[in-house]
Amino acid sequence: MTKSEDQMLEDIFALGRDTALVPSDALMARILGDAAAAHTVAPAPKRSLWAGVLDMLGGWPAVGGLAVAGVTGVWFGIAPPASVTTLTADLIGSSITVDLLDDAGTYFSETSLDG
Amino acid sequence: MNAPLGSWRDAPDDAVLLAYANGDEEAARVLSLRFVPRVLAQSTRMLADQAEAEDVAQEAMMKLWKIAPAWRQGEAQVSTWLYRVVANLCTDRLRKRRGMSLDEIAEPADPQMSATAQMQEISRLVALANALAQLPERQAQAVSLRHLEGLTNPEIAQIMDISVRSVESLTARGKRALADILAGRKAELGYEDDEI
Repeated sequence: MTKSEDQMLEDIFALGRDTALVPSDALMARILGDAAAAHTVAPAPKRSLWAGVLDMLGGWPAVGGLAVAGVTGVWFGIAPPASVTTLTADLIGSSITVDLLDDAGTYFSETSLDG
Repeated sequence: MNAPLGSWRDAPDDAVLLAYANGDEEAARVLSLRFVPRVLAQSTRMLADQAEAEDVAQEAMMKLWKIAPAWRQGEAQVSTWLYRVVANLCTDRLRKRRGMSLDEIAEPADPQMSATAQMQEISRLVALANALAQLPERQAQAVSLRHLEGLTNPEIAQIMDISVRSVESLTARGKRALADILAGRKAELGYEDDEI
């Protein structure tokens, strides 16, 4: 870019900066018409079902707490800590195993099925 | 057109936009008075075509009306957002000019400029707009924001969501490319080496 080209560009840029059209009344009327029309058709902000459920539960912190409680419950079911087992035994006595399907063989043996 | 109501005169732009979103028609008038002249000036400088510039101004303001209900207070400035929208709308239109010959691009009809001497100015502005149309869009936007709107590099960086260094690079390359494009039209545009 030579000096003269640079000056030519600067001159045209300055010309552009001096350009200032006053918006016509017609343009302003069109724009205000759009503003009024956009008001009448503006849809309510969409809310997903998930967002509604989240709010109902109390937001992300509450859902986080629920998740931690759930995972802890599952873990206790799989591998209860010794203190929980002792506490359970203290509260409801020693554990008793009841085999609900003890007599199942009687009903589902081959002979009884064949009649 | 009447002056805006006193109650809105000193209100921040996003507060007025919120009022518009909440159904205040007067707020639309205040926003239009604040922004349409600037939006129209930016589109006119980039396009050098009054009818197209007015269409862009209307389109940009329509986008503002539509985004108003979802506008996040304090996250962005309305003016910055509008600069970006207008720059994008203008480069969209400039892109469509690329395949056109210079004869197909209408000279702007501006009743405010009638003298023959002013025709030279118009042809220079049209030449600039057509040269901008030849540039990659980001370069055209950066150059116009820097040299036509007179914004600083940090302001342009914010508008275009890029680094200041990228703005510097885009404007430098864009300006060089513009000079190359316009170099062959010096005499036609009334620029002789001994004149400038």
